[in-house]
Amino acid sequence: MTDAPPPAGGAHGLRRRVPGLLRLSSLRLRLVAVFALVALTAAVSVSGIAYWLNRDAVLTRAQNSALNDFRDSLQRNAASLPVQPTCASLNNAANRIGGPDTYQVVLIDTTPDNSPCAATSNRDVFTLDDVPASLQRAVNTPHSKDDNRYHLHWERISLQGHPYLVAGARVNDGGPTGYMLKSLDAERKDLNSLAWSLGIATLLALIGAALLAQAAGSTVLRPVRRLGEAAQRLGEGHLDTRLKVSGTDELADLSRTFNSAAEALEQRVAELSAREAASRRFVADMSHELRTPLTAITAVTDVLEDEAEALDPMIAPAVRLVVNETRRLNELVETLMEVTRFDAGTAKLRVDEVDVADMIMACMDARAWLDSVELDAPRGLLATLDPRRLDVIMANLIGNALKHGGSPVRVSLRKEAAPPAGAHRAGTGAAEAPAGHGAGHEGTGRDRDGGPGDDAGGDTGAGDGEIVIEVSDHGPGIPEEVLPHVFDRFYKADASRARSEGSGLGLSIALENAHIHGGDITAANSPSGGAVFTLRLPVRPHEDDTADTADADGTSGRPSEGRSDGPGNGTPGGAR
Amino acid sequence: MSGVPFLLLIEDDDAIRTGLELGLSRQGHRVVSAATGEDGLRLLKEQRPDLIVLDVMLPGIDGFEVCRRIRRTDQLPIILLTARSDDIDVVVGLESGADDYVIKPVQPRVLDARIRAVLRRGERDSTDSAAFGPIVIDRSAMTVTKDGQDLQLTPTELRLLLELSRRPGQALSRQQLLRLVWEHDYLGDSRLVDACVQRLRAKIEDVPSSPTLIRTVRGVGYRLDTPQ
Repeated sequence: MTDAPPPAGGAHGLRRRVPGLLRLSSLRLRLVAVFALVALTAAVSVSGIAYWLNRDAVLTRAQNSALNDFRDSLQRNAASLPVQPTCASLNNAANRIGGPDTYQVVLIDTTPDNSPCAATSNRDVFTLDDVPASLQRAVNTPHSKDDNRYHLHWERISLQGHPYLVAGARVNDGGPTGYMLKSLDAERKDLNSLAWSLGIATLLALIGAALLAQAAGSTVLRPVRRLGEAAQRLGEGHLDTRLKVSGTDELADLSRTFNSAAEALEQRVAELSAREAASRRFVADMSHELRTPLTAITAVTDVLEDEAEALDPMIAPAVRLVVNETRRLNELVETLMEVTRFDAGTAKLRVDEVDVADMIMACMDARAWLDSVELDAPRGLLATLDPRRLDVIMANLIGNALKHGGSPVRVSLRKEAAPPAGAHRAGTGAAEAPAGHGAGHEGTGRDRDGGPGDDAGGDTGAGDGEIVIEVSDHGPGIPEEVLPHVFDRFYKADASRARSEGSGLGLSIALENAHIHGGDITAANSPSGGAVFTLRLPVRPHEDDTADTADADGTSGRPSEGRSDGPGNGTPGGAR
Repeated sequence: MSGVPFLLLIEDDDAIRTGLELGLSRQGHRVVSAATGEDGLRLLKEQRPDLIVLDVMLPGIDGFEVCRRIRRTDQLPIILLTARSDDIDVVVGLESGADDYVIKPVQPRVLDARIRAVLRRGERDSTDSAAFGPIVIDRSAMTVTKDGQDLQLTPTELRLLLELSRRPGQALSRQQLLRLVWEHDYLGDSRLVDACVQRLRAKIEDVPSSPTLIRTVRGVGYRLDTPQ
């Protein structure tokens, strides 16, 4: 309704619309993260262990078979060699032992002419230079044991980025030294594909974990969200909000607790409002009951008053006191009745189209205020309102200014264009009563008349918009701490003024009378000193004009005639 | 209707009845009172008062019913005594045929002013007559006829018709009519006008729901037309 709240509400709504997934602090995200972490740890360790075990097994098997083969072959072929073979026979032997498709071999021995000879099965792939020095040293180290098997040493090396197994042994009893080179490319390929598989498996496990976390989050968070929504509805005043309890878990317990809390709250509120309704009814009944004796007493006050002059001087003041206080009591009961009607929401508007300036004049005239109040009100400003209620408002505002403010009291009237729907209601006083709520916020459609012929705007100056009446005085103004309470019931700005003439209900009633029109009153201090009460009333009330709808017999045929007649006649007659 | 106005007061509460009797007598009225609606109707037949002041809340038949029964035979002015101004009481009371209402507690002076205003409505003010279609208003005899037949109008209805007929074709606002007919101050209750117009239409219009004589002027009030 007001200007200020929508952005706040909008931002709130926006925040609510952002899915939980996107909020860093959300429970869902944390759940997903934890699940993923657990899955990652498990998958990585399992894959790692599996990879290393597999690698070991694959390599060992390939290595062992190659080494065993090499050893057997070397033994067989070396044994057939002479003690000091020729380079050619070494070459032959090397070619016999190794092969292009298994492994390459280098045989080294001393030739008959005492020069060393290195025979290789494939010179392009494997020469003695490829054998690491450490392996050569290990192979050449003499063996202390005297078993007839010679010791086989091996190492894994990498040549031009390819993995190889290189092994070497010296044939016992001065035989040749043999080295072999076996490519482990096939094994590496196998291991690589295994690693890939394990990686993919880990990834799948992660995705699975995330999905699981999402699902788990949903099952946990859905009830939490429902709980949150329910709590919000409860906060908005829907006290009958309850959650469906299913299951026996902690969330069900929480729901049960919520339900019992809501029930207790509802009960308490019902109790309180019943008590309040009872006390309101009591006040209503009470003031109603007071009427009967008051009516009887009032009926004879005139008689007493007329006779007072002729009475004993001791008795006359007593009679006058009774008469005057009876009138006061009458007014008080009348005011109380009015308040109870607002509280019960039974106050009704009885609108009529009136000249506002005339109304204000008449109101002041009836109370003999014309001399003490400056009036700046252009005539011809027509508004559809309840004349009696406007009178009550003006009487209270002007009366208050005369009583508590300093003269001169000034009343000004002007018309303003319609504000953005209900904008001025943002500053509504604290004493906004239920009746005011009902009337003030009920629908904003103000087209009472509908048809184009009924728009009395143009020529009468009473189009849609609002009338603004300011009542200002030149007194000390209203203290800041009192300002929010000026419309409170029975609030007296000055505690020492225990018994003022007012009922203490005047401004509160004025405000409620403004609310029922869909208008408002605000109190402020003018910069030049003194208090300013500003009354705003819509030119046309948003509620249906019962007086007009009761007997709508369609005068749309001659609308202009009716319009020009009415105001023309109405104003000169004035309000006297 | 000359001399001292003769009132019938129907009110069940002893204290209020006594008080009002005292106050109204003091204002120069002759008052006869009844505690129930039945007694009141009986007294009406026996004593022929000028005006009835009628409480709404009565034991037995209530004020509205008393009002309706009186209107079947008599057109004398009735002023309702009601407890609440905003209540449905007022509307129902006016629909039952009451001419005016006052709210309790009422000062005898105010009630007296209302009584005198109501009684003045029956007074003749000029001698000419006017015709609006089938309706002929004879201001000298204070009678209204429709197609030659006498219409039974209460003084208030008659006065309303007279005021409207004095400005034919001209719209009168409710507040103007309240001042002219009811002699109310500026805070008159416009429901009085609406209720009286309804009753008047029921008597003079051919089809009261689509009136051709007393037309509503939206946002202004009412107007008396000569049917085309």
